[in-house]
Amino acid sequence: MVEQPGVGRSEADFIARYGVTPEKADHATLLEMIKDIFEEGLETKVEPFPETDREFGRILDDLRAMGKNELRAKLIESGWLLEPYGEEEMRCQECMYYLVHKRWCDLPELDLPAEPDWWCRLWRI
Amino acid sequence: MANLLWLQGGACSGNTMSFLNAEEPSACDLVTDFGINVLWQPSLGLELGDDVKAILEKCISGEIQLDIFVFEGTVINAPNGTGEWNRFCGEPMKNWVQKLAAAAQFVVAIGDCATWGGIPATAPNPSESQGLQFLKRAKGGALGGGFVSKAGLPVINIPGCPAHPDWVTQILVAVATGRAGDLTLDEFQRPKTFFSSFTQTGCTRNMHFAYKVSTTAFGQRKGCLFYDLGCRGPMTHSPCNRILWNRVSSKTRAGMPCLGCTEPEFPFFDLAPGTVFKTQTVMGVPKDLPEGVDKKGYVKLTAAAKGAAPAWAEEDIFVV
Repeated sequence: MVEQPGVGRSEADFIARYGVTPEKADHATLLEMIKDIFEEGLETKVEPFPETDREFGRILDDLRAMGKNELRAKLIESGWLLEPYGEEEMRCQECMYYLVHKRWCDLPELDLPAEPDWWCRLWRI
Repeated sequence: MANLLWLQGGACSGNTMSFLNAEEPSACDLVTDFGINVLWQPSLGLELGDDVKAILEKCISGEIQLDIFVFEGTVINAPNGTGEWNRFCGEPMKNWVQKLAAAAQFVVAIGDCATWGGIPATAPNPSESQGLQFLKRAKGGALGGGFVSKAGLPVINIPGCPAHPDWVTQILVAVATGRAGDLTLDEFQRPKTFFSSFTQTGCTRNMHFAYKVSTTAFGQRKGCLFYDLGCRGPMTHSPCNRILWNRVSSKTRAGMPCLGCTEPEFPFFDLAPGTVFKTQTVMGVPKDLPEGVDKKGYVKLTAAAKGAAPAWAEEDIFVV
């Protein structure tokens, strides 16, 4: 995988920039972290889309092994995007893991704030 | 007085255990209040060996009128159609089933195995198991698709793994008290009084289903189990949330996804790895949608429901 520049390469980077790690960050700070990481050109594994539940499960297994502070890695593995995806414009708003009032992804393996128009490859309806 | 005979084929005795826990009416009520004479039952019968065989033979000859023949478990045909893997009273059980069903006024199949083959008939079905009148969805089974008992009814199927005890005793009472004519059966010969509604009917998680909030892990009391954990409540016909188990609960109320055990395909997807307790999807959309809902409608409904969901739907309202 191509080495990508940007924030959040380590816990120290997060602390230097935000004064806190993702694990301790509040909702707004986590959102800011995610947006900043993408602003610096992060590319995520949007594809392949997990077409079977075994493939889906393998992505979850990988995410489960990641710590709360491995925010970059989580975004990459989940195929996170800051925009809707595909012809049908799939987005968090309709995803069953998304809590619309809390603006939060409730999938335990992600457990991150998200905007309604974002998307990731773990999307389910 | 109605004479009842209960035999077991390829079974785990789960339906007998369930039956013995019946409350409305109880197994004892059948005898004391409703005039059912239990000729023999595997867990209750006092007779052994030749004495049991004598009862069976008297039922077949007509010396004892056999009013209700109850069968639990699959009809085993292995090896090679002989049925020798399940011998009882000196001959294959499948032979007894044929002869007793022909002699009985009513035939009642209890549990998934007796109705459509259940778990033993899951591919590759090494015991060559069948239900009495179905093999999964295909009509036929051990007695053949055209079978009707002396009273003119096909096999009355009471599925479930196990069947709820009160479904069993209430149907037995209806038959024993001459009200079998009141029973209407669905296409799978299940009594409509129990199997027209869905497991979801009466589920305490319905509000989370309506607002599309998912349970994401076992043990959560908030959320609906359909979206992620493979619950088949919206497309399974059973009254599990109307006639509660042990009078207090149900699978979904306890946080356990419905496995669809009253449907002919149970166990679904032949128990392939990754199919149990996981909603099967195609590009993120469930393969099996709530009965009567198409994909387009489902997507629209979800978008509307998510948009209209109140904030409280996202909370665990049972924790105070």
